[in-house]
Amino acid sequence: MSDLASVLPVPPYAPSVQDRGPREALHLRRMRIEASDEELMLRYGRGDARAFELLYRRYRLPLYRFMLRQVGNAATAEELFQDLWMRVVNSRGRYEARAKFASWVYAIAHNRLMDFYRGNGRASFLSHEESESVLEDLPAAEISADLRLDRKRAAERLVAALGELPDAQREAFLLQQEGEMSIEEIAAATGVGPETAKSRLRYAVAKLRASLGKES
Amino acid sequence: MIERRDEELSHIYREAEGPRPPQRVDDNILAASQRVAGTVRRPAVFAFSRRWGAPVAIAATVLVTSTVALMVHERQSGVDTAAPGVPRAGRAAKVSPAAPVRTDQPAKSPSTEPRAGPSQKSPPAEPRSAAPVTPSPKAAAPLDRAKPATVETALSGERRATGQPARLPAIPPGVEILRKTDEPKPAPAAAAPAAAGERARATQQAPVPDAVRTFDVQPLIRPAQAPASAPAPGANTLRESASTLQGAGAVGALTSSVAVPDAKERTPEKWLADIRKLKTEGKAIEAERDLVEFKKRYPDYILPEDLR
Repeated sequence: MSDLASVLPVPPYAPSVQDRGPREALHLRRMRIEASDEELMLRYGRGDARAFELLYRRYRLPLYRFMLRQVGNAATAEELFQDLWMRVVNSRGRYEARAKFASWVYAIAHNRLMDFYRGNGRASFLSHEESESVLEDLPAAEISADLRLDRKRAAERLVAALGELPDAQREAFLLQQEGEMSIEEIAAATGVGPETAKSRLRYAVAKLRASLGKES
Repeated sequence: MIERRDEELSHIYREAEGPRPPQRVDDNILAASQRVAGTVRRPAVFAFSRRWGAPVAIAATVLVTSTVALMVHERQSGVDTAAPGVPRAGRAAKVSPAAPVRTDQPAKSPSTEPRAGPSQKSPPAEPRSAAPVTPSPKAAAPLDRAKPATVETALSGERRATGQPARLPAIPPGVEILRKTDEPKPAPAAAAPAAAGERARATQQAPVPDAVRTFDVQPLIRPAQAPASAPAPGANTLRESASTLQGAGAVGALTSSVAVPDAKERTPEKWLADIRKLKTEGKAIEAERDLVEFKKRYPDYILPEDLR
């Protein structure tokens, strides 16, 4: 997570360190360098709002993309995204650093998505058996040469193909890409076994590669 | 279970334009988080007040405390200085009869010494709430032009406190005290040594209207008018106060610190007596010249009938 956060640009809403007082700037620098996600969340549980701000800055973009790619609608994604963070805020006193913060927060996101799917009569999650059987027949596709050169077009094609994936497989792929989670972490966050999480992920990857291998 | 990530697919996915949450969503979430944490970021005004509030509060407290202490000290010293002659409702009960009059005050601050003077001349029976009069020379200036500053301030302060007309400014209090100590005391009963007893007696006197009080005071400054007659109650009070001061040793201190330079001059009474003497000796020109000089020296002094 921290690698991804360092790659992502600083959100425009966040005031620069120079804009703050020297003591606060030093505190933020030290937190940004030293503090883990779990430590930040614990600090926020003790009332340190700046810790939450830093935590939010780290997870803001990946979580929003995760939500948006899952629901496919910006307004719904904003609502779910906001609701997700409200749950984080309201859980500050109960948080225990037993697992990674990323696993915890994506588990909240998953649960929120489940609620959303149930509320909208959308239950397209594949069963374990179904995904396993599908996985057997997948060919190992290669990405076409044109798309290898045109990365932007390849990215557009990938995002479009991502939207066509079943929710569970897309979720597994997004959790791996946005959340930088392992199979075990994906399984824990989604409440399935590791094998299921693995098969979903492999199926998602195979489908996406296949979409990039075809010439349109 | 380790599943190798498809790096090529990951790179392509990263190329996709990343959508961002709107600013209002960020603001809502952060505001909610800060509100819940109880640490809502305050505007710059609050930050300024938080930074400078404590020093300013401390400075204000010190300032107010020192001012109050100074006022209390000033009031206390003023009360002590004016104690022998200023009858106050609560003083007689507060001060024990055996309590000696403070004699160190005149030596400490000469500016407060003359307060003993004016306190002698007023026979107030009504308790005054305005305890220490801290006269300002500015206010006293138009009333007492010809007197030394120390006397002016005390007199003007007394005048402001009593509301009496400027009747006595020409007599320096120190001189008055000296004169009274030289005079035979007409009221032996007033020579009680205890100052508190005197004050209590003065307090018990019947209230006298201001107009009457003015007339009571006049004989004091016109000793030639009725030198042998029985002194007025106000005069009694003044003489009693003088004798009280003498008995307590305050007169000595006053004499040494204030009245000594004035004592070298003639007192107005003595001066007037000299003028009368010149008149009786037939030296009318000298007497007239002396009288003119006297009027210059004491412009506010009300001359006796025979010298007008």
